[in-house]
Amino acid sequence: MMTKHSDILLEDVRRKVSEIGHADILVGIPSYNNAGTIGHVVKAVQTGLLKYFSDRRSILVNSDGGSIDNTIDIVQESSIDLNSILIHHNEEKLFKITTPYQGIPGKGSAFRTIFEIAKALNVKACAVVDSDLRSITPEWIELLITPVLNGGFDFVAPYYHRHKYDGTITNSIIYPVTRMLYGKCIRQPIGGDFGFSGKLAEFYADKKVWKTDVARFGIDIWMTTTAVANGFKICQSFLGAKIHDPKDPATGLSTMLHQVVSALFKLMEEYSSVWKTVHDSENIPTFGFVYTVGLEPVNVNLLPMIDNFRLGVKELSILYKDFLSLELQESLSGMIDQPEDKFVFPDEIWAKILYDFAIACHKKIMSTEHIIKSLTPLYLGKVASFVIELKDADSVEVEQRLESLCLTFQKEKPYLIDRWEK
Amino acid sequence: MLQFAEKIFKEPWQEFLEIIQKFLPNMLTSILILVLGFITAWIIRIVIGKIVNLLKVDKFFSNTGIARNLEKSGIKKSPIKVLRQLLYWTIVFIFAIFALIFLKVPVMENLLERFFLYLPNVFIAALLLIIGYLVANFVGRVMLITQVNAGVKYAGILSKAVKFIIIIFAFAMAIEQLGIGRETVLIAFAITFGGIVLALALALGFGGKDIAKDFLEKKFKGSSKDDDTFKHL
Repeated sequence: MMTKHSDILLEDVRRKVSEIGHADILVGIPSYNNAGTIGHVVKAVQTGLLKYFSDRRSILVNSDGGSIDNTIDIVQESSIDLNSILIHHNEEKLFKITTPYQGIPGKGSAFRTIFEIAKALNVKACAVVDSDLRSITPEWIELLITPVLNGGFDFVAPYYHRHKYDGTITNSIIYPVTRMLYGKCIRQPIGGDFGFSGKLAEFYADKKVWKTDVARFGIDIWMTTTAVANGFKICQSFLGAKIHDPKDPATGLSTMLHQVVSALFKLMEEYSSVWKTVHDSENIPTFGFVYTVGLEPVNVNLLPMIDNFRLGVKELSILYKDFLSLELQESLSGMIDQPEDKFVFPDEIWAKILYDFAIACHKKIMSTEHIIKSLTPLYLGKVASFVIELKDADSVEVEQRLESLCLTFQKEKPYLIDRWEK
Repeated sequence: MLQFAEKIFKEPWQEFLEIIQKFLPNMLTSILILVLGFITAWIIRIVIGKIVNLLKVDKFFSNTGIARNLEKSGIKKSPIKVLRQLLYWTIVFIFAIFALIFLKVPVMENLLERFFLYLPNVFIAALLLIIGYLVANFVGRVMLITQVNAGVKYAGILSKAVKFIIIIFAFAMAIEQLGIGRETVLIAFAITFGGIVLALALALGFGGKDIAKDFLEKKFKGSSKDDDTFKHL
């Protein structure tokens, strides 16, 4: 039975959905000009579905944003040689839909189409994977789907091994803040590759957010937070290394920071009654065999980061004085004179700064975009401090260091709660 | 002699009395209108105050940051108080104009006519100044944040310069609208603005050619090997 929401699906997609009728598993791949990588992703997904869920009716959905390269052709033509991977299987149970999505251009709109198809087909389990992945294997599909199908989980977050200097927005902002707010240790809240139940897909599809920024950016943090804050059963799966194409270089750091952090802060508004009651954090079940992986080296140029921090503290103090406490302003001023090799940005100051930024957005002290973009130099300062401190650290030590950062965020939570309503 | 005295004193006195007789009711009407104006303004101010409290408009101004911006501009009163005062005096002003019209003094009528013809210019000029101030603040802030994030050393000075230029531009437009020293203001503005652009061009040409070269190279050839390969997300 098609609901009124499925009018965002094109006529031929609706027809195809009616023909298929019902499926157990759906894997969605949002794309936009990913001709270079999407073939590999589609093949990995198909192999994963045939290898691990051969007895289930499965569907692969590619939701495209109007690619002008031959992304769609590659998706349609990609097929696997079953003999080469030692699979003997009837391919009649594996379907494929490729469709341009409707609505505001963005990954969120692409996901909405995937959720609507999942809802229309009444699927039991879904997964979404990025189309620019180079390290995806068929096992990712098993690891994202099985906890839902067999474990009764509603949301499966990815857990990757990444270089210690990789994913610094996740490490220094998104992970500690999400964990502090909602009390669950989800290591990669904006990983982009998720598994979720059909019930949660329907919950997502029915949310009235598809004409907001969620449709354009911030869908990853929105999915994670919506699942956690609404009490869905969550877990994470170890997927190995995440290697993907570099993001669009035209998207600068401050724009990226604005997109991710504004989505995080907006969700803080929506779920303030939830996070105010959370005072601790707990581990969530983690699936998959954790192993060490070889990672691509990451070049770091420290001096420009520290210079940018110093410049920001000096020049943006005129804005900071409107929303940072006097104590924090003084602490920042004191930090600019530190020598480069001994540069330290204390966790406590960083946590309180992020809280003051969140409160400034909540109280609309000025445009949210201006507030968050003015965070860029301070963020670079924190990253520089991390790089210096973790220069010789191995992955275990890095995780221990992040654990300590998260605990500081939790310790300082009363600072946030006290000021939120004042 | 008596006739002469009558002509000198009595007739003018009678004329004066006639004028007063004619003028006095007008003046009384005018005073009445003015008093009515004050009473109406007072009542409207109270009613508006109650409605505004009911609709929690104060909270809206506080949430949208308008209250804070006004405070920064030196207006310490709450936006609601400012609006109520503005409304009060606008109503009084309108009634005062009516009161003056009812005086029916030809000189006053002439002055009022000219005043009314000029009034739109004053409003447009005020509007230009307000918009100019707001745009200058916004653009100045955008410039400051963008330049700091791009690592431009003199971001503060540059953003202040841009803010200043926009305010000067708005001021020049307002003055021109009021018709004060039209030619002088325009010429002065053109010379100042042209001078600033020329100075910037020369500064970039002589002092910043290497920076411009690096910037363009990075933009079109891509990053150098020494750059970060950070993936922030």
